[in-house]
Amino acid sequence: MTRFALAIPRCVALVALSVAGFAYGHVLVVAATLVVTYPLAVSGQYRLTALARRLARAWAGAVLPDPVRSLPPTPHRREDGWYAHDDTVFRSPRVPAFLLKLDHYAKDPTVGREWLWLILTPVIGAVPILVPPALIAAGVFLLASPPWPLAWSVPAAGGAVVAAFLLAPGALRAYGLWAGVLLGTGEPPQTAVSRWVTRTSAATWRGAGLAGLTLAGFGGLLLNLLAAALSWGGLLPYTLPVTRSLVELYRRHVGRWTGTDLPAPYRPYPPAPSPGKDGSYRVGRVLYTDLPAAVQGQRPGWLLGDPATWRDQLWSLGSVALAPLSFVPAVLVGLGFYGLFCQPLTWVGWAVPIGLFTGYWVTPFYLWFGIEHIQPDASWLPGWASMTAGLAMALLGLGLASPLMRLRLWWDRLLLTPTAATVLASRVAHLATTRADAVDVQATELRRIERDLHDGAQARLIAVGLGLAAVARLMETDPVRARRVLEQAQETSAAALAELRDLVRGIHPPVLAERGLGDAIRAIALDTPLPVDVDVDLPGRLDAPVESAAYFVTCEALTNAARCASHISISLSHRDGVLRVVVTDDGPGGADPTRGTGLRGIQRRLATFDGTMTPHSPPGGPTVVTMEIPCASSSPRTSTS
Amino acid sequence: MRVVLAEDLHILRDGLVLLLESHGFTIAEAVGDGPALRAALARHRPDVAIVDVRLPPTFTDEGLQAALAARRDVPGLPVLVLSQHVEQLYARELLADGAGAVGYLLKDRVLNADQFIDAVRRVASGGTAMDPEVIAKLLTAGGTASPLARLTPRERDVLELMAQGRSNAAISQRLFLSESAVGKHTASIFDKLRLPPSSDDNRRVLAVLTYLNNT
Repeated sequence: MTRFALAIPRCVALVALSVAGFAYGHVLVVAATLVVTYPLAVSGQYRLTALARRLARAWAGAVLPDPVRSLPPTPHRREDGWYAHDDTVFRSPRVPAFLLKLDHYAKDPTVGREWLWLILTPVIGAVPILVPPALIAAGVFLLASPPWPLAWSVPAAGGAVVAAFLLAPGALRAYGLWAGVLLGTGEPPQTAVSRWVTRTSAATWRGAGLAGLTLAGFGGLLLNLLAAALSWGGLLPYTLPVTRSLVELYRRHVGRWTGTDLPAPYRPYPPAPSPGKDGSYRVGRVLYTDLPAAVQGQRPGWLLGDPATWRDQLWSLGSVALAPLSFVPAVLVGLGFYGLFCQPLTWVGWAVPIGLFTGYWVTPFYLWFGIEHIQPDASWLPGWASMTAGLAMALLGLGLASPLMRLRLWWDRLLLTPTAATVLASRVAHLATTRADAVDVQATELRRIERDLHDGAQARLIAVGLGLAAVARLMETDPVRARRVLEQAQETSAAALAELRDLVRGIHPPVLAERGLGDAIRAIALDTPLPVDVDVDLPGRLDAPVESAAYFVTCEALTNAARCASHISISLSHRDGVLRVVVTDDGPGGADPTRGTGLRGIQRRLATFDGTMTPHSPPGGPTVVTMEIPCASSSPRTSTS
Repeated sequence: MRVVLAEDLHILRDGLVLLLESHGFTIAEAVGDGPALRAALARHRPDVAIVDVRLPPTFTDEGLQAALAARRDVPGLPVLVLSQHVEQLYARELLADGAGAVGYLLKDRVLNADQFIDAVRRVASGGTAMDPEVIAKLLTAGGTASPLARLTPRERDVLELMAQGRSNAAISQRLFLSESAVGKHTASIFDKLRLPPSSDDNRRVLAVLTYLNNT
């Protein structure tokens, strides 16, 4: 009985909550537009939906676990007292904290679904729970000012109230089901249609966003033109970097939003000039007396002589023509959404008056506008024309989005990526650096081996020889002493052997030659005084130099990890022509690749093979170091596992 | 006692032949590469095989593989493996079949002729001979959480020698202890490591090695 009695006020409370949620949904849109207020608004949304979940669980029997929500990460204070975010440092932690929050909320998939829930509940989920209160209201109205004779009104009112009580629990259950659709943790089912809509709507908004960025690029172009005109080009070295950073921003967003990689085509800053015989530095036709000024003096030549600079300008100019096209899908989808949902919703507000006065009934604003100016007599248009037209426009917009995005990417690739010549030039520069590094490493290594042999095994063998000579002399005169010297010689030769063994291990570990990379790593893992899991998935032996480099970088990473971890796992795999070594440890994390010579040494060793190392070490761990070397696997499997 | 010897360096091979023959061994065949070793092991079924890990033609672990293959055909065929370096990995592979009669020594150990001949005889009679360097590595791998940390230093010394394959008598000689004291230490070790006590040298060593292998 109480269940039925309580159901009505609960319905009323939930209707009120959904109206509040609808209003807050609009507040969120405004907050997102203002950007700065967005994190605050989202935390409000969290609180509102937490309340909605609690009520739906308690009153409507919905099975709704609270989503697991982590706090946004806090900015990490560097050693120099600044705070880093991406590749920029800030003096105060507030800006990076804000950017981290934005990233965090943008990555939370529940935020979008909850917003949809707030907006859609009044038109879908709240409809059943609106019925019982409406019936009660109708009953009260019938009793307060009966339109019919009392003999009819009283039974009608009574019937309405009874119906309200009977319907209310069912209505609450229906509401609970609706709450489960968008507030639940399960992902909505994926169909071909929903995937198409997801893909194309992403293309729509991202296309518009990219078009907005190209307009900023055009602003940069205008600034350059102004600078060129006002100063005869003198200010260009200072305005060109503005365009460059805007275009770089665009490149990054294209990479993030479309997955298309647009590598930066710019030439690296030239190396510092070397002084001439008179101690001055010559840059072009100018002589500088001190080095910093000379380095600065290279700037105009570096910027103006780079073809990529001028290709950027050309791209900005062409993008202006492309921008309006890119906005078309977004405008179409926006108007379509308006015609499909908002117009029917608001028809009571102003579409009815328009209909009353014009006879066009529920036609969307844009349709009405068109009819007014082109086809004055359109009273034949039915009310549902709005929704049909809205749907058609939205679909047309979504359909156009992908081809237009392809057009945009074609244009970007044409001018924003490095030309074949630039690619070759940067490749040559890279090879020159890594070759210098390799030669350096090799020379150091040879010097070390030479020193070790000279001071170690060689010296000991001399001692053995001297000992034996002494024995030959003492054999007859003093056999006791001869025996002692002989034992000494034996010990020295054993020590020489042990030293040679260590040296060989440092040059090329024997187990690597005998068994290949997988077993060599297993062997070193067994010798580590920590539990180390090794997972090997290699098709066979790799090229010897690659094996050797991979072995030594893995040992280095293992040594680094063993310093502060209690458990380490290493995985080796070879896929798509890339050898991948992943070293994971449970240490405290926070490793900085720019610090410490260990990781830099790994990078230098890998660079010779065009390999890369990516450490990932959030504060609190775990630290994951991924090393990749492109290489082919040669002989068939010889490993015993 | 008939021996098959595999070693690719002439000077070492001749040296070993000389050493073994002077201690009363018969050299059934001395070979220099992997395929010849496989053939010799199949043909002679020696009392003990002395094998270098790295052999031609591949100069990888050819010798070790030939020895393991021969032991698969003839379980318990005594094999003493020699190498310029010792790896726990190889020791574990040799011990994996649990049949005993294996040895794994650094080539340096040949320099001490008496101990080397002792090791050959031990392996030939079904015992084990593990290089002290392997045992030391096995003993350090456990960390402080391991039951090994509960052993006293003296017990560790005993365990190390026992794991190398030595009998109580040999251990007592080495550590200048009475044989009964060594017996007490071994009982305590078996107790602390929760191993079934045993007086048979070979079973005892295998129990210890299996234990070390699994930690």
